[in-house]
Amino acid sequence: MKLIIHDLDELKFKRLFPDLPNSFRVVSNDGTIKKCVGCFGCWVKTPGACVIRDNYGDMGEWLAKSDEVIIISKCFYGGYSPFVKNVLDRSISYIHPYFATRNNEMHHKKRYNHTFETSVWFYGDDITEDEKATANKLVVANSINMISNIKGIHFVDSVEEIGGGIL
Amino acid sequence: MKPIKVSLMSGSPKPLSSASGALLDSLKPRLSDHFHVSFHYLNKTSVPEESMESFINSDILVLSFPLYVDGIPSHLLNCLYEMEINLKRHPRPDMTIYAIVNCGFFEGHQALPAIEMVKNWCHKADVTWGQGLGVGGGGMIQSLSGVPDGQGPKKNFSHALDALAFHINTGSEGEDIYISPNFPRIGYKIGAEMGWRHQSKMNGLNKKDLDRRLV
Repeated sequence: MKLIIHDLDELKFKRLFPDLPNSFRVVSNDGTIKKCVGCFGCWVKTPGACVIRDNYGDMGEWLAKSDEVIIISKCFYGGYSPFVKNVLDRSISYIHPYFATRNNEMHHKKRYNHTFETSVWFYGDDITEDEKATANKLVVANSINMISNIKGIHFVDSVEEIGGGIL
Repeated sequence: MKPIKVSLMSGSPKPLSSASGALLDSLKPRLSDHFHVSFHYLNKTSVPEESMESFINSDILVLSFPLYVDGIPSHLLNCLYEMEINLKRHPRPDMTIYAIVNCGFFEGHQALPAIEMVKNWCHKADVTWGQGLGVGGGGMIQSLSGVPDGQGPKKNFSHALDALAFHINTGSEGEDIYISPNFPRIGYKIGAEMGWRHQSKMNGLNKKDLDRRLV
């Protein structure tokens, strides 16, 4: 499965990507997402699933089923938009609460014997060079913590430039 | 002389008993007596009206928040965006911003991308960057409340807060600081993992449940 997490409005997304195969699962902003409250219930109460049962409570499971995760996000200060970041904040059930050492740093242990590839498309017509540098560091840090491989980090002025790049 | 207004803002989603709030509590006594200090909680996806008013009238903002997935928690990101929009209407290029980012990992330097994001926000919002402090071992900060300042595992936290307070008190820019606890990394790991097992037991789970896979 390929998982797309994006912050575009539904009509725009469908116009840009009209013929996605059934192998894609799309995580969009339906206006109902709750913020992560930092309770760690997804580790110590309902391990593997978020305790908040809105439409975004199974992100950990969806990541475990994905071969590739494609993120399309407006660039905010060298990071993701609030919606995309909210989805990622709600995704930590994918990893295990215990710690492991990688790159001589403390990170979380794997929950699943699985990795996925990550492609990130940051869009915005005013992304600065500093923001691009930060965004690159962020995606690298995410790939270490979420145990994924980076397939690509892209910066585009407008989402129209993505075209078939995600397929 | 007009008093210097300082807003201390905790960006933890938890209004009470957060490491972000505890770090601000530890910073406050180190700040100049001449400052007019107010404390605010940014624990929702929007900035409360009174906090926004205090912020826009502040000379100094100290923002303290937990590292979430290598960055700024989403609710706080939304608050920062609202603050940026407000600053476009009421420019405050003289306002200086300091950031304290605590992370559950041992190494404070893992907060670097989040601190850079706050710097980038300063650029977009046209306010002045002061200094960042990345604090590792965030999981043990609250348990150190009884430890004397500057002693034992608290040593690195205390020294870093002293350095940050110096720059806040002098209104100056400082090099970013990244610290780990003055405590063995293996000890922190063992303590944290005991904590997870204890919490899961309190929720009626056993040790193996922590490993649960849904796929």
